[in-house]
Amino acid sequence: MTSTDPTQQGAAPNLWMRTHSVLIERLHIRLESLVVLLVLATTMAILSPYFLSVSNFMNILLATSTIGVLAIAATYVLSSGGLDLSLGSVMGLSGVVGAAVAVKLGAPTPVAVVATIAAGAAAGLVNGLVITRAFVPAFIVTLGMLGIARGLALVISDGRVIYGLPKAMVYLGQGRPMGIPMPVIIFLGTAVVMHILLAYTRFGRHTLAIGDNENAARTAGINIERHRLIIYTLSGALSGLAGLLFATRINSGDPTAGLTYELTAITAAIIGGTNLFGGRGSILGTMIGALIMGVLQNGLNLLAVQSYYQQMAIGAVLVLAVFIDQWQVRKESRV
Amino acid sequence: MSKKKATLKLGAAFAAFLAASPAMAEGEYGVLMKTLANPFWGAMGQGVEEGAQAAGVKYFLQAVESDQAAESQLNVCNTMLERAPVAMITAAINSTNLLPCLKAAQDSGIKVVDLDGNLDPEILAAEGIDITFSIGSDNVLAGAQGAEYLVSRLGADATGPVLVIEGLSGNITGAKRATGFAEKLAELAPGLEIVASLPGDWDRGKAANITNDILTRNPDLVGIFAANDGMALGAVESVFAAGKGGEIIIIGVDGNSDAVKSINEGRLTASVAQLPYLVGKQAVENVKVAVDGGGVERQVIVPTLVLTKEVMDAGTEPLLEFVK
Repeated sequence: MTSTDPTQQGAAPNLWMRTHSVLIERLHIRLESLVVLLVLATTMAILSPYFLSVSNFMNILLATSTIGVLAIAATYVLSSGGLDLSLGSVMGLSGVVGAAVAVKLGAPTPVAVVATIAAGAAAGLVNGLVITRAFVPAFIVTLGMLGIARGLALVISDGRVIYGLPKAMVYLGQGRPMGIPMPVIIFLGTAVVMHILLAYTRFGRHTLAIGDNENAARTAGINIERHRLIIYTLSGALSGLAGLLFATRINSGDPTAGLTYELTAITAAIIGGTNLFGGRGSILGTMIGALIMGVLQNGLNLLAVQSYYQQMAIGAVLVLAVFIDQWQVRKESRV
Repeated sequence: MSKKKATLKLGAAFAAFLAASPAMAEGEYGVLMKTLANPFWGAMGQGVEEGAQAAGVKYFLQAVESDQAAESQLNVCNTMLERAPVAMITAAINSTNLLPCLKAAQDSGIKVVDLDGNLDPEILAAEGIDITFSIGSDNVLAGAQGAEYLVSRLGADATGPVLVIEGLSGNITGAKRATGFAEKLAELAPGLEIVASLPGDWDRGKAANITNDILTRNPDLVGIFAANDGMALGAVESVFAAGKGGEIIIIGVDGNSDAVKSINEGRLTASVAQLPYLVGKQAVENVKVAVDGGGVERQVIVPTLVLTKEVMDAGTEPLLEFVK
């Protein structure tokens, strides 16, 4: 994907374009998505008297936390030119593993927390190994893992929720230091770290380079297989973190948690400007994408609109976001 | 500036989309369902609606996209609290997914009601959540009613093999129905032996396969009890395909419209009908009593009804009007 920075096209600079280029260069987010988010939030605030409040703002962030962490994983994998369809299943598996370690084995909280994330990382590592060593396409491997991880979660939990995590563990999901829910703090912290990693480090540049042009990246001396392996493991570990956030929130490991979340996460990443075929992506952009979906869902919930319409709305936003993106790319290349 | 216009257009599209949805006034009772895509919940929603109209209370009802969307239901629940309802009538997707929301509701003085008995009293006690009441059918009793009907048809001295098709392994509802049936059968007619009790996972096809396999082993099967109608209808297909239609008594649970149709056609023998409409209606009525300061039983049990061709043809059973 070529750069879409309009100032490079020699167009007359105006406020919109200047803001735009500053945002893109400094923060790697697109102004359009920010505007959509603001318009959406304003609309909701006008339509529902319950929308504008601190507690509702926390609701939105809390509701976005699990899917947001998965969307970070999706952004890394997609922008490296890969695909991970097992995000939701691995999230479910990790939560169950963590709950089983804590409840059935009676392990202390730190062990259970590490086990939760390690379970996700292990699933991601398996994905990465099969993709890079056995040369099976990522679509197939992660589709297989979608089934394997979900099945394993049901086996471990015997099909029912494992209830009753240790108090310290539940704090990660239900604690509210300074009134901010813990999952929100963990989610935002992760987003900042992962944003810096992708936008400002060599690792991040290599990720985008592989996604943009694999052969060029190989010629440039990047160890593509090793890098891919790390990305899929990272994706699994982040899914594990999402599993941890949800399990601790509901004080139990739910084997059906995260069903179809992989698609929601990919949607958030794409609305945020990640290229489905690699080479472009930013975590801040993805966060805005996830928030657009979060605000939309929250607003529609407040208005008591049936969930069927919410799915339609999110589908429409996805197509619109990509449409605006493509339309701009084409317009800029015509100038 | 056309970019800005495009974005504004996008916003305008949202506004138009939202304006089409009814703006709700100050919510009184919040009703949170699993999904309305299932006719069972649809009927319950209808009961809530008509119950609320009759009682003159305002309510707002929400549901999620599927009966597996545990986290989205929790998020919807949290959002519903923003409207500060006086009561939350909730049909939780599982025994734990709504816990933080129910706790928050209780802390802000909102009455919490368990619709259709999805919550586990032990877990509620551990979480310190004190619900106003739980309403629904008694699944153990529903299973027992199935056994009573089987014995009423075959007689207490009857002998022969019986097949039980359970629900999803580990699911509490299916387990209760299967145990209720087994215990009552052992008590009423010890000669009727349960030769297999297998999980059909609520799946019609799986139930049909199980029935096929057991019919091969026990061709003299006299009765089949399935933990829901879908599986019972799967069993019906296998029994008729094996040429044993009409010889084996097949009983399901739910009383859904497919089952009613099959009973009328003389294929399915009976279904222990739950009355979701009545559950919804009585839930609202009881909440009103509780909100007005009256006493309500902690466990409101809505009766189940054994639906057979005879019962439907006679049409005298008063509960029949609630079969939707």
